[in-house]
Amino acid sequence: MIRDMIRPGNLLRLAVFGALLAFLLAPDRFAGLLAPLTSNGAPPIYHQSSLIDLTLSHLFTVAVSTLAAAVVAIGLAIFVTRPAGAEFLALSRAVVNIGQTFPPVAVLALSVPAMGFGEAPTRMALFLYGLLPIFENTLVGLSTLPPAVMETASAMGMTGRQRLLKVELPLAMPLILEGLRLSAVIGLATATIGSTVAAKGLGEVIVAGLLSGNLAFIVQGGVITGVLAVLLSDGFQAVARYAAKKGGARPQTGA
Amino acid sequence: MIELSHLTKVYGGIAVVNDVNMTIEAGTLTVIVGTSGSGKSTLLRMVNRLIEPTKGSVFIEGRDVSMLPAYELRRSIGYAIQNHGLFPHWTVARNIATVPMLLGWDRKKVDARVEELMELFQLDHEQFAGRYPHELSGGQQQRVGVARAMAAKPALLLMDEPFGALDPIIRAKAQADLKAIQRRTGTTILLVTHDMAEAVHLGDRIAVMDAGHLKQYAPAADILARPADAFVDDLIGTVDRPFHYLTLGTVGSAVEPGEADGAPLNADASLYEGLGALLWSGRKTAPVVDAAGAPLGRVSLDTIADRAARPQ
Repeated sequence: MIRDMIRPGNLLRLAVFGALLAFLLAPDRFAGLLAPLTSNGAPPIYHQSSLIDLTLSHLFTVAVSTLAAAVVAIGLAIFVTRPAGAEFLALSRAVVNIGQTFPPVAVLALSVPAMGFGEAPTRMALFLYGLLPIFENTLVGLSTLPPAVMETASAMGMTGRQRLLKVELPLAMPLILEGLRLSAVIGLATATIGSTVAAKGLGEVIVAGLLSGNLAFIVQGGVITGVLAVLLSDGFQAVARYAAKKGGARPQTGA
Repeated sequence: MIELSHLTKVYGGIAVVNDVNMTIEAGTLTVIVGTSGSGKSTLLRMVNRLIEPTKGSVFIEGRDVSMLPAYELRRSIGYAIQNHGLFPHWTVARNIATVPMLLGWDRKKVDARVEELMELFQLDHEQFAGRYPHELSGGQQQRVGVARAMAAKPALLLMDEPFGALDPIIRAKAQADLKAIQRRTGTTILLVTHDMAEAVHLGDRIAVMDAGHLKQYAPAADILARPADAFVDDLIGTVDRPFHYLTLGTVGSAVEPGEADGAPLNADASLYEGLGALLWSGRKTAPVVDAAGAPLGRVSLDTIADRAARPQ
């Protein structure tokens, strides 16, 4: 356990996380680092809101919308892989695909009149955008399970529900987690545009930099978002690896 | 007792199982043999309703299986297949415990049963209970698959090519083990195979299927001696027939008084094994001993040859 934790990869993760935390808690200490990016004595560190508040609210927005997308997308994928829902497969695919092809900016523009400014339109946009990766991955996970395993699950006397909960979902879990990872990472980056409709988030720093021509703001907003995305992606992969290991190597279908 | 009555399955206008009638005695091992596409696996899957018949019924102990909810029926019938279908995310112990857990047995009883079965199938509990299926060899996976099928002590066990994925040596051992376990537990077994040698070796009775029809259903010796038609004859194989026949008798049944030189044969070895031993050692006769090693007499090449001839 201890030896696992001091592997080089984990040390790097820890270092990156530590650096991010240090910056968020006391950004002024890094002012000297960012000062060369400013001109005319503009402030190198964004101070209109606290960076840590912005980061937490950014993460919260992503978490809420990814969770909502997960509930709907996984639920839908389960439904269309049951005999009763099979005929809705094509329709669900179409609906979810529209969610992905519709640009989040357009969703924001359209939903502000209905929902007002703030977090709500951003969450809506991220929710729609996040459906597809989770849906498609769950669908692949549930529809490519080894036929021999599925047959014996029924032959042992599992009801449809038992089979889903005890066999299908656990075996599809690595793929479902991969879908969640994609959605969360895309959401994290996309959430920055929420600041154009007054959602609290790291986009605010970037937008402020763009408006005042302050490169230091743009860089700190961008780098924080980027580092969060890398750490999040890495975390999801670690969980997926654990799930795959616990589930044993997934056997190839057929043979 | 299991009764198949006018059992029929039609797919796209073609009857893959066509009006099959069969009675299987409790406590016997019945083998359904046929080429691929003969409908033998479909027939088997209609017994536990993995496939619902188009027409006809299956009765187990006089009860129509369609009267029970399918999942309840299946918990009372063991099921083992070629690719074992073990749950890859569960340990060996959890896999074997599948049906007892579904039936809601209490933890202690489940654990005791798992241990008992692992011993029966020669899997060291301490070593294997916590392993995952992909950490086992093919032979071990197959044994876990059969152990799982027998976990809730079903009176009936269905097996579809259970030894199909095993190499010949492990396969012979698995067949012998299954036969021994079947004798010990008295489980009724319905086993599907395409291999006539396996059918003759294992089956108390053999059912031959072709193109959905039940061609012949009789004890192995009858099938070999009096094949119902050209198809059954073909399936047995003209060249192999005498040898199949010899696998049915034991050396002990062909003993005559007298003495012979060389290594003795065991009385419970099959005549086929006896023939092999005699031919390979270049002897015309060999001494026969019983399980304790006491001499019983001798067996000769001529006697064995007589036993391989078509019965008149």
